[in-house]
Amino acid sequence: MKQHSEIPYWITLAHLSKWGTEKINRLVVKIVHDNQMSLETFFHSENEWKDKFALSDTDILDLQNAKSELPNNAFLAEDLLSQGFEVVPINSPEYSKTLKANLKLKAPTILYVKGNKQIMQANSIAIVGSRDADDISLQFTDNIAKKASQQFRVVVSGFAKGVDKQALDSAIQYKGQSIIVLPQGIMTFGSGIKKYYKEITAGDVLVLSTFHPKSVWSAGLAMARNPIIYALATEIYVAQSSESGGTWAGVIDGLKKGRTILVRKPNQNEKNANLILIEKGAKAVDFEGNAIENIEVVEAIEKPNINGTSKKNEIDEVIILLEKQTLTPKQILEKVKLNMSDKELAKKLKSLPNIQTVKKSNKIHYFVKQESPTLFAIK
Amino acid sequence: MTRQQAEQKLKSTFGFNEFHDNQWTVIDKILQGQRVLLIEKTGFGKSLCYQFPATQFEGVTIIFSPLIALMRDQVQKMQDLGIAANFISSQHTEEENNQTINDALNGKLKLLYIHPARMENVKWLETVRDKNFKIAMVVVDEAHCISTWGHDFIPSYRKIVNLVNLLPLNFPVLATTATATKRVEEDIKAQIGKNIISIRGNLLRENLKLYVITVQSEDEKMIWLAQNLEKIQGTGVVYTGTRVSTEIYAKWFEYLKIKSVHYNSGIDTETKKDIEQGLMSNEYKCVVSTNALGMGIDKSDIRFVVHTQIPVSPIHYYQEIGRAGRDGKPSHIILFYNPNDDKTLPLSFIEGGRPEIKKYQRVIDAVKSERLGLHGIIKATNLKQTQVNVILADLIAQGIVIEAIDRNSKKYEFKFGSPALDTKSFEELRDAKLKEFDEMLNYLTISTCRMKFLCDFLGDNLHKDCGVCDNCRQKNIQVSVTEDWRNKLADFRETYFPILEVENKTTNLVNGVAASYYGISNVGQALHRSKYENGGDFPDWLLRLTLKAFYRHFGKEKFDVVLYVPPTESGDLVKNFAEKIAKSLNFTFSNALKKSRTTQSQKIFQTGLLKKDNLKDAFILENPNQIIGKTVLLIDDIYDSGATIKEIGKYLSKLGAVKVAPLVIAKTVGGDL
Repeated sequence: MKQHSEIPYWITLAHLSKWGTEKINRLVVKIVHDNQMSLETFFHSENEWKDKFALSDTDILDLQNAKSELPNNAFLAEDLLSQGFEVVPINSPEYSKTLKANLKLKAPTILYVKGNKQIMQANSIAIVGSRDADDISLQFTDNIAKKASQQFRVVVSGFAKGVDKQALDSAIQYKGQSIIVLPQGIMTFGSGIKKYYKEITAGDVLVLSTFHPKSVWSAGLAMARNPIIYALATEIYVAQSSESGGTWAGVIDGLKKGRTILVRKPNQNEKNANLILIEKGAKAVDFEGNAIENIEVVEAIEKPNINGTSKKNEIDEVIILLEKQTLTPKQILEKVKLNMSDKELAKKLKSLPNIQTVKKSNKIHYFVKQESPTLFAIK
Repeated sequence: MTRQQAEQKLKSTFGFNEFHDNQWTVIDKILQGQRVLLIEKTGFGKSLCYQFPATQFEGVTIIFSPLIALMRDQVQKMQDLGIAANFISSQHTEEENNQTINDALNGKLKLLYIHPARMENVKWLETVRDKNFKIAMVVVDEAHCISTWGHDFIPSYRKIVNLVNLLPLNFPVLATTATATKRVEEDIKAQIGKNIISIRGNLLRENLKLYVITVQSEDEKMIWLAQNLEKIQGTGVVYTGTRVSTEIYAKWFEYLKIKSVHYNSGIDTETKKDIEQGLMSNEYKCVVSTNALGMGIDKSDIRFVVHTQIPVSPIHYYQEIGRAGRDGKPSHIILFYNPNDDKTLPLSFIEGGRPEIKKYQRVIDAVKSERLGLHGIIKATNLKQTQVNVILADLIAQGIVIEAIDRNSKKYEFKFGSPALDTKSFEELRDAKLKEFDEMLNYLTISTCRMKFLCDFLGDNLHKDCGVCDNCRQKNIQVSVTEDWRNKLADFRETYFPILEVENKTTNLVNGVAASYYGISNVGQALHRSKYENGGDFPDWLLRLTLKAFYRHFGKEKFDVVLYVPPTESGDLVKNFAEKIAKSLNFTFSNALKKSRTTQSQKIFQTGLLKKDNLKDAFILENPNQIIGKTVLLIDDIYDSGATIKEIGKYLSKLGAVKVAPLVIAKTVGGDL
């Protein structure tokens, strides 16, 4: 009970409307790490905000406004806790280490959960894909979930139709464990909790949300949830992706961050963007999830039209750059702003199938294989 | 704010010149955002300790109180003073409650009174967490209800404790109670926490004249009251131990033309409200009640409180007698004690307060396999609702079961990773209660000041005697029973027949009558002999008694047809009995009512819900058209939960019967749902 009294403070801070997660987390680090303070003590030592925490006048005003919501959030917290939900703050040993390692300061300040929290500490994979996935993708999902469950790996999924749902149901069927990452507030998930009641009470399912507990589903929240799914897993399996939408954006983002992403190699006449993702650096896997080396993308691909989406992507920018010139990673980073070190970039470039290297003045330079038809399309 | 400034505001807002010293001590701390537990006797002016700060704070003060009548009175007083106050209760319509909640949200209220159970209401919870809802302070009235060591633990207070623990530092919280032992005080402080300060006044009530009357039988209690009740000035309350005895005592007073009424938790809300209002306006000499009455009654001039049964502890007793003489004027407090008989009931409350451990396991298993509502658990476990309620409250308190809210209905969930059931705390609690009961027994036999004994028990150090109790004045009351009174009581017993309350809006059932209570007179034995010991037909004296009950209740009313409840196992007993009734009353007898399927004996079901299921659509009437437009007298031997009568009444009403009236030999004591 003792640490429960911190919960309204966490809720209040985590949903500070004008602040982004990173800004909130920086303050959290200052409070709980640098100053070894409880949030309660912090909120009630306003006189130290300016000096000790170097907060600006605007920030202080925001915090004062937030502070006045504490009694309301006490009511919210009571309701949450009495209904069996729990709040796991970022400094808690129960907080997913994988999530924290992957997102660092962008990791959600608090997690709202129901079920077996231990699941968050287990080795985990995510299976992602379209809502209207083909049977073959659903079958692939089933294969992966089965394998993961047999290996005592947790399956993370997003509770959407199609692949998400299949991943969850298969993990349950094979007596595995699952994390459901909600695209909504956890208190609006009554029907799902009813449906997966047995699995939740048996400790096989953890329901997790990063949003305000009463937020209802929205497309925006569904998109915002995707990075959480990716970050909760050590490996990400992609069953089926189109050239836009949540899965696509998530994978591109994941690749950019250097995550291990395993994409099902599609059959010849499948109409999806799996091959493009493989081409962009995702690892190809077969129907059973086994890695495929040296995949020949060239002939399998129909001319993809990714002009629209590609430019937004930083790695795509690099590829375009490397079509015209030969550069070292350091030189690339001077031209394109990327959230990675030169070593990470080098690793990333090596993982892309159509990038070639040449050694000049003792440094490895990268360029794009010009004969690739894909790249003509990009041009 | 200084005391002087505060008292100026007090004068202009409340019309009082000054605070008592203790009041100001509390108010000063509250204004500084502290947490206070205030233990003061009735009449101290505890409510001013939050009402005044509430008028000074920005935002709404939320007062949790279990007493609807008290909330109503307080709100009226505030409104009369021009202070914006209101209360939310089950006695308002949903629209009215929603309006009140919205008023609070929009800053139109200073004080909002609310029942702790409202913490489960979706609309309330949704509004109160809105950041525009400015909450100034939280008050926990009757704070002893949060402690299981107290005399009146209310499970919904658990949520209040949790809430208070979540409220921020420097947020004013006031908990108040008139009755808390040291142990309860410490428990409340531990639960509410965050540097709470307790302030305790003295608990001596100088105007209460305490008496203990030792008797040898229930008859002596009834006769003494008959002889003396009218001699005691004013209006009062007679507390009995059971629901049935509320009815019997009230009927006895009625027989003696003493204006009285019975009150217990089995009575519908509407009637309860009427009785409470009647008590307020001195319509009765006395209300005969179980301990269901009282918490909510803010009547300052209750002149006497009689207990026909000993309470389970001195604190229960202090609390219940505390309702008398709030105006400070002398009031009589009488406790009857029959050393031969009176320990059984309180001991059974203590021992039976908790169901057996294996029943806990049944509930845990049921909830583990499925997410269930209360009715679902009752059905899955075949346990009485009262027991399920106790078990659930314990399991929730121990964190094993969660009470989730699913579209305004409650669902119980098993909590993953929860600890095993802790039964040690149950035993500790039971032992503590037995010790308290021993103290209650001591109270009966002491020869020293009774008020001092009670105050000492409550942790108050009273250094003087009250000077007004029977021991202080050395005036012990003796009962004298005359032959005349014995005859009167016998006559009452033979002419008093329990009512069967089965009327409802959806059927043509009317209330009927039973010849007796099962288990109170020799009627039960006679029935048992015939039913289970091959004693043959029900004896003729039962027939005469039942006919007497009929005439008493229905007068000369004629019925078109006499039907009887087809039996599950005891042969033709009821059929033969019904036939004799029909013959004696000269009504048409029919055996057209049959069972359409085999049912199980109702006795094996512990709960009304399963009893109801057992009988659903189980009856069929041959030649159903014959019943259209007819009035029916429906005969049975024993009336328990009433489920059988209600099912048949529903069926016959559907077929077209215009009236269905039950007549039975005995009504059992108790029954669930």
